[in-house]
Amino acid sequence: MREESMGCAVRRRVHRRNNVCRLLVGLLLGSLLTAAPVMAQMPVPELSHQMTRQDNPVAAPDFILQDMDDEQHALKDYRGQVVMVNFWATWCPPCRREMPSMEALYRKFHQDGFSVLAINEWEDPELVFPYMGQLSVFPTFPILFDREGEVSVAYQVKGLPTTFLLDRKGRIVFRAVGGRDFNHPEMEQIIRELLK
Amino acid sequence: MGLLIEGRGRRRRVRVMPALCLGLSMGLADGSGAAEVQQHRDADSGLLSWSVRESGLSLQLIQMLPDYVAAVYSSRGLPPEVLESIAAYCVFGTIVTNTSDTRVSYRVADWRYLTPDGRQHHIKTKTEWLAEWQGMGVAYRWSILPDDQTFEPGDWSQGFTTIALPPDSVFTLLYSWSYEDETHEGRIDGLRCAPASASQE
Repeated sequence: MREESMGCAVRRRVHRRNNVCRLLVGLLLGSLLTAAPVMAQMPVPELSHQMTRQDNPVAAPDFILQDMDDEQHALKDYRGQVVMVNFWATWCPPCRREMPSMEALYRKFHQDGFSVLAINEWEDPELVFPYMGQLSVFPTFPILFDREGEVSVAYQVKGLPTTFLLDRKGRIVFRAVGGRDFNHPEMEQIIRELLK
Repeated sequence: MGLLIEGRGRRRRVRVMPALCLGLSMGLADGSGAAEVQQHRDADSGLLSWSVRESGLSLQLIQMLPDYVAAVYSSRGLPPEVLESIAAYCVFGTIVTNTSDTRVSYRVADWRYLTPDGRQHHIKTKTEWLAEWQGMGVAYRWSILPDDQTFEPGDWSQGFTTIALPPDSVFTLLYSWSYEDETHEGRIDGLRCAPASASQE
């Protein structure tokens, strides 16, 4: 639809490995957002590092989503790891602010069995790809696409960003609504405890 | 964030008892001194924002230009009907934050806005927006402030609040929230919808 009108014949749900086209479309879409920094006008509160421990952990809903390279990621394949599941979108300023701190946490603990799955809501890789290049640190964890929002519904996500921490058994053990600074000693302590 | 140019508006906080709610909300302070509603003007855009810090919760409202709002939806690839549906509304970027170390909740369905003619009006909720958009075949469910949220410590949320008024309209927001097993009410007077375009400001 809109992508086709931009000359790259990119159709919804047809992911192509044409990063040049992706970049061009993304830059155009990105410039639209830059020209209209609606949510960016909003003064974001100082980010805390608190996550809320879930008194009665429940099994995290499973999902299978594609990343930017069309590779599929199934949550069940991460069983046995501590997983941070983050729901986000490019228009969301706190999502942008917290992502580098997620990357820092990921780099510290990935070797020990910690993974981050950042699930983008509703947007296309063509928009997300150039956005990633604007971050202070390019994320090395998987960026997944929940194009129809079904996974966020399953997780009962009401607003973005929302983040869940899953233990090695695949249970939701912590939750945070709103942006966070994950690169904090208390967060690191939580991850260490879950990795034990 | 722009420069603080003035403090304005008055806020009253009460424990809500249904029969006394209206009278109390108009007349009694909590004794700790009314928290000031702060108004800011962004130096670059000229747009206004308001913020107030209540017991357990802070609320910020930021004017959104109609063109900006339209760009948010058009850049998501949403059909013109969606853009037209929200174009009739005055939109504020809204941030609700739990500033306490305990649980706080709010329900937009309980909030009202008061126009200069003295009438109170319902605020269109996210649920109502999503139902309308679903009728247009659109499953998009982001951008509008969540209807009701229960925040744990550190939690906060942002999104659009939509008021069925034309650009530049002035109104009062009546809002409420629950904190420490009590329902509280607050108000922000003198809220103003964004102008129709940036050049008017």
